[in-house]
Amino acid sequence: MQADRKLLKDLTPELEKTSTGWYITFAVFMVFFIVGVYSLILQIDKGHIVTGMRDNVVWGFYIVNFIFFMGLSYSGALISGVLHLFNTGWRKPVIRMAELITVISLVIGPFFIFFCIGRLDRLYYLFVYPRIQSPITWDVIAISTDLIGCFIYLYLSFVEDFAILRDYTDLNVPPWKKKFYKILSLGYDGSPVQKKLLSRARTVMASMIIAIAIIVYSVLAWIFGVTLQPGWHSTIFGPYFVIAAVFSGTGLLIILMWIFRKVYHLEEYITKRHFVNVGVLLTVIAAFYGYFTFSDYLTKWYGSIKMDSILIDKLFTEYYTLFIFANYIGILLPGIIIALPRFRTIPNITVAAVIAVLALWVNRYIIVIPTLETPFLPIQDVRTEWIKYSPTWIEWSLTFAGVSVFAMLFMLISKIAPIISISEMQEKDEAEVLK
Amino acid sequence: MKTGTYIIITGLIFLSGITYPVFSQEETIISPYIQLQYFKDSDDLRSLKTTLTYSHDRIEIPLAGMSISFYSGDTGRELLGTVSTDEKGVARFELPQDQDLPVKNDGLWIFRTEFSGNDTIEAVVSDLSIKDVKLDMVLSEADSVKTITITAFTPGNDGDIPVSEEVVMIYVPRMFSLLPVGEAWLNEKGSASLEFPTDLPGDPEGNLTIIAKFEEHETFGNVERASQQKWGIPSVNPAPVAHRALWTKTPPMWMIITLSILLTGVWGHYLFAIISLIIIKRESKKQKKL
Repeated sequence: MQADRKLLKDLTPELEKTSTGWYITFAVFMVFFIVGVYSLILQIDKGHIVTGMRDNVVWGFYIVNFIFFMGLSYSGALISGVLHLFNTGWRKPVIRMAELITVISLVIGPFFIFFCIGRLDRLYYLFVYPRIQSPITWDVIAISTDLIGCFIYLYLSFVEDFAILRDYTDLNVPPWKKKFYKILSLGYDGSPVQKKLLSRARTVMASMIIAIAIIVYSVLAWIFGVTLQPGWHSTIFGPYFVIAAVFSGTGLLIILMWIFRKVYHLEEYITKRHFVNVGVLLTVIAAFYGYFTFSDYLTKWYGSIKMDSILIDKLFTEYYTLFIFANYIGILLPGIIIALPRFRTIPNITVAAVIAVLALWVNRYIIVIPTLETPFLPIQDVRTEWIKYSPTWIEWSLTFAGVSVFAMLFMLISKIAPIISISEMQEKDEAEVLK
Repeated sequence: MKTGTYIIITGLIFLSGITYPVFSQEETIISPYIQLQYFKDSDDLRSLKTTLTYSHDRIEIPLAGMSISFYSGDTGRELLGTVSTDEKGVARFELPQDQDLPVKNDGLWIFRTEFSGNDTIEAVVSDLSIKDVKLDMVLSEADSVKTITITAFTPGNDGDIPVSEEVVMIYVPRMFSLLPVGEAWLNEKGSASLEFPTDLPGDPEGNLTIIAKFEEHETFGNVERASQQKWGIPSVNPAPVAHRALWTKTPPMWMIITLSILLTGVWGHYLFAIISLIIIKRESKKQKKL
């Protein structure tokens, strides 16, 4: 299968050679990962006493990270699915990154659940004795279904590129990589029948992963929403979580676009237009996300249910800085930076995206922790540190290990297949020819 | 503003809000509290219980994993045994039934518990004097009046000596704690009677456990006698109506149907995609043959 020579020349060098900078960066992430593994061993050996989680606050950083990574995954699925279905012209250089965000986050997210479980040896009970009535079972079914769906979708998007790389004779890669391309390209040669089959399968899977992303993240939100805990018991938690996920995922997409554009010198392919388009998307989603946040807190505050009032009071006192950062700065600042044309530069849009992603993580933190610190029954004669959650270095290191694995997987995949889809970019050329 | 400055500011905003513990090594020596208690249960099994704690911010914190020694005797103490404290700071030593304990002239046993201290915790000891007591409880019923008769005697050189002017508490265990149902004041003959209430719920057969206790008595320690009797109202606990029924064995039908439709729909599409890939592979083989 032939491809445009220029595209191949521009997008394949990263598959052929690896810079020293790449190795150093990878080693740094590997150190974080190793520290994380050491922390995990300590946690398994000594038990959850080494974390900040206690009888009252039983969910800490791990659940926050789980929700965060799952959100990134679903947003990646939504963004790539929607861009594919609507055949958006500018999607082509960025759609693969969105697809990779989906799968990599989905692989990492559930590990944080494993870190949170005290008796990992009983984990298989979930599969052996599932109760369909339990939201946890819904989550297990939903996440495993989603994971398989996203892998299929990602693979479908790679088939054409693998075929192109297989047939690119000038590609200077080790034999195992060539063999790898040959096996995974399934003998695809771009015949009309194959093209039609692949295109139809991708369209079906694109629409499917959009639906699954919404359902699965709603299920995750319902784990909170169906409980009667203050701050969690909300009918809008499903859509609120979905919007929040897309918000963080869009932010992460911008950050990745900026990194790969800089590191792999893709300025010609990922232009300011792409940043502005994804940035505008971020702004629109920020508006929806802000609206949902305001609605949720307003109804709770106005309702004046005792426990909700205590919680909101806590958010505006003990958690004031985090609350303001997550729900004011994190929503308004990205919107302002992107909405005003004079600020609309690539670095500014990237900074807006960084703020959005961090704010969303903090938002998850202040959804999970303050509620658990506000139990219905008064706590007497309990140590202060057992009531108030403070993450320990073990939780910090496992969090950084999760982020490092995300980065390392992205780096590794970018060495196996181009970070910009050659086949997608080629389609653009064909469309232009037809025009 | 440069991009780097933006990132630093963002990072600082983020970090400023999150609190994390700063562990500091305090060099102060802990002054612990030690408490020694004596227990004698319904089967006349005797035990000593030591609780080792310290106070921090006016909260009592247990000291776990500390080695506690138990001694008997006043002069020329005999080591009974050594036990480590559990996570609640408690070390319990069961006295063997055939244990010969030295008795003072006034009929008292002397016990000592000792924590010998370490680099960070001071040593501490506590003594306890206990006189043995025989506590008995007789349950009788006449004309629907349920009566508990308590007797208590201490061994003396010339036979048993009645315990007088002391109170024995009567309890019935409930789900979370012991329910006090009366106080029996012992007369000069070492005996006391009291009427048992008739309105206490028991198990489905009406069984109740009745406990008579000397509690934290300065001379006798904790001594109890328990007995089971059908003096309760048989309890009938019908299963509550399960309105939501999500904890029943079988899920609601609507849930099974919804889940089945969703999963069939989704996995059907997956199957379609996988079949498409298989056909793509077959097509390439066909092309090669041609």
